[in-house]
Amino acid sequence: MIEIPPIMAIILPLFGAFLTPIVAFVSWRFGVRRQVCGWFAVAIIVATFAIVASMIPAVLGEKILVYEFGRSPPLGINLVVDGLSLFMALMIAGIGSLVAIYSITHMQHHTRLDLYYTLLLLIITGMMGVVVTGDIFNLYVFLEITCISAYVLVAFERRWESIEAGIKYMIIGSLGTSFILLGITLTYGTAGSLNIADLMGKFAAVTSGAEPVPLVMVLIPALFVAGFCVKAAIVPFHAWLADAHPAAPSPISALLSGVVVSIGMYGILRVVYMMLGALTIGPILAVLGLVSVLVGVLMAFGQHDFKRMLAYHTISQQGYVLLGVGMGTAIGIQGALFHMLNISIIQALNFMCAGAVLYRAKTRNFDELGGLRKSMPVTAILFLVGAFSISGTPLFNAYASKSAIYAASASQPLYLAIAILADVLTMIFFLRAFRLVFLGTRPRHLLSVKEAPMRMLFPMCILAVLCIVLGVLPRLGFNIVGTAQEAVTNPSNYVGRVLGGV
Amino acid sequence: MSLNYVVAMLLIALGLYCLLLKRNLIKMVIGLGVMTDGIHLFLISMGYREGGIAAIVPAGMLQDNVAAGFASAAVDPIPQALVLTSIVINICIVALALSMAIWIYRHYGTLDPSEIRRLRE
Repeated sequence: MIEIPPIMAIILPLFGAFLTPIVAFVSWRFGVRRQVCGWFAVAIIVATFAIVASMIPAVLGEKILVYEFGRSPPLGINLVVDGLSLFMALMIAGIGSLVAIYSITHMQHHTRLDLYYTLLLLIITGMMGVVVTGDIFNLYVFLEITCISAYVLVAFERRWESIEAGIKYMIIGSLGTSFILLGITLTYGTAGSLNIADLMGKFAAVTSGAEPVPLVMVLIPALFVAGFCVKAAIVPFHAWLADAHPAAPSPISALLSGVVVSIGMYGILRVVYMMLGALTIGPILAVLGLVSVLVGVLMAFGQHDFKRMLAYHTISQQGYVLLGVGMGTAIGIQGALFHMLNISIIQALNFMCAGAVLYRAKTRNFDELGGLRKSMPVTAILFLVGAFSISGTPLFNAYASKSAIYAASASQPLYLAIAILADVLTMIFFLRAFRLVFLGTRPRHLLSVKEAPMRMLFPMCILAVLCIVLGVLPRLGFNIVGTAQEAVTNPSNYVGRVLGGV
Repeated sequence: MSLNYVVAMLLIALGLYCLLLKRNLIKMVIGLGVMTDGIHLFLISMGYREGGIAAIVPAGMLQDNVAAGFASAAVDPIPQALVLTSIVINICIVALALSMAIWIYRHYGTLDPSEIRRLRE
């Protein structure tokens, strides 16, 4: 097989993004159908997925792919694909392609579709860049590409709701990225390098000798944790998510709740755990995660807005991931990574279901919905799969990952109790949502509602099948995340491979 | 030299204060800009060297084999590259925030964030 350099996974969507307006213009000029630029974006993202997938055999064979620009690592900028990067990249490209397919039908009545697909490709570019880069400043730049595209996409519909949510997201998000920039500044001042592998060694040297840890070594992890927690919507920094995710167009809600929040979690793993080696911070992260679990679930109580209720559950499920990450043991990180994969599948599915209801019934208010099981039977079944999955029912995917997180936190009975309580509440809220939307009598204005179009059901079906496959065969899931967990708990391979050359 | 760091910290604190406590969206955006500029000043001060020369190697210098002396005389070029990149990003954010503020004003007729909270109801 031909070796495709990792840079192609960034270049392809980036060029695709700026080709999209040209494609849209040409197709408009020649009078072809309006969806051409949508299919173009789908093709680009699927091709990106293929590029990432072509790296699987190499990474599984205990290899870490390093791609250098110019000088060799400590001096030049490099891209590194290890188990963790590959896992995240597959998730991004996979969910991204399904979201793009879903967008074609869902967004067809909107204007400025070329802008929409440009931003969708840019957000994919940014996330790909964040996960494959081996340079801390590069990570910041790609994070900003992701975030700026996300701000614009949230405000895309330009209704009062989306504008308000967009500016709120933007102010809080920029504060978060400023913290990360300040953290990078202090990092450069302390260690004099920007290469993640190089920094791993230098920070280990700084922390090992000094007995009271130097103040700067407290400040740097604090800044990075705060910055990435904003991106991951962990509780003290969660306020934007419940506004931004419902206000975005539904496919974008699926993408934001599915993978964009996971970028924050990737940052915590890669920068705080692997680069700074700040494993002692774990108990604080676990408490933050636990608070998120509880607050997210409690805030979902009594919501009237379908998508807003789902958004609160994103906060709560992110809390589970952080709880596993905070435990810091191999099983905890494995559970956290597996849960990250699961919630990206489940929340994408749930938001797509909400989007399908919104598309057909034109409302997402629980008070105006009801009895849709007769009109939209397939969507009803798919949402039920999502509801059972997210609440950790056996035979659905989140069961295995939550069990692993519980096993990791077994030494803390209080944590375990709160997490299980939150699980039960999640189940109750999702069944309530199911009852309000799909059961009961159908109001008169919904009598003419039809089943969602085929092109919207297709990505939803794929996600639901993934939920069940990973639920029935949890070992498969743990095998998928095994390499990623190996990369997190054993960063010395990463350092050796990047700096040693080989 | 340490004055730079003091001013940088003051700018960051001022920007943060402005961003978090001001009751006007435009002032909040200005605060964001000031804070980022504080970080830029902090970053660029780290690479500064008293009486240093620009980190550009003229063609003749390499042949004269003075590269070692050059490294100890030149300022650190990396912070300059980083700040340049960061300034560009910051321009994008400020421009986007201001354009959103225009839309907010059209929809609500006010820039006071405490009144722009229809989502909370």
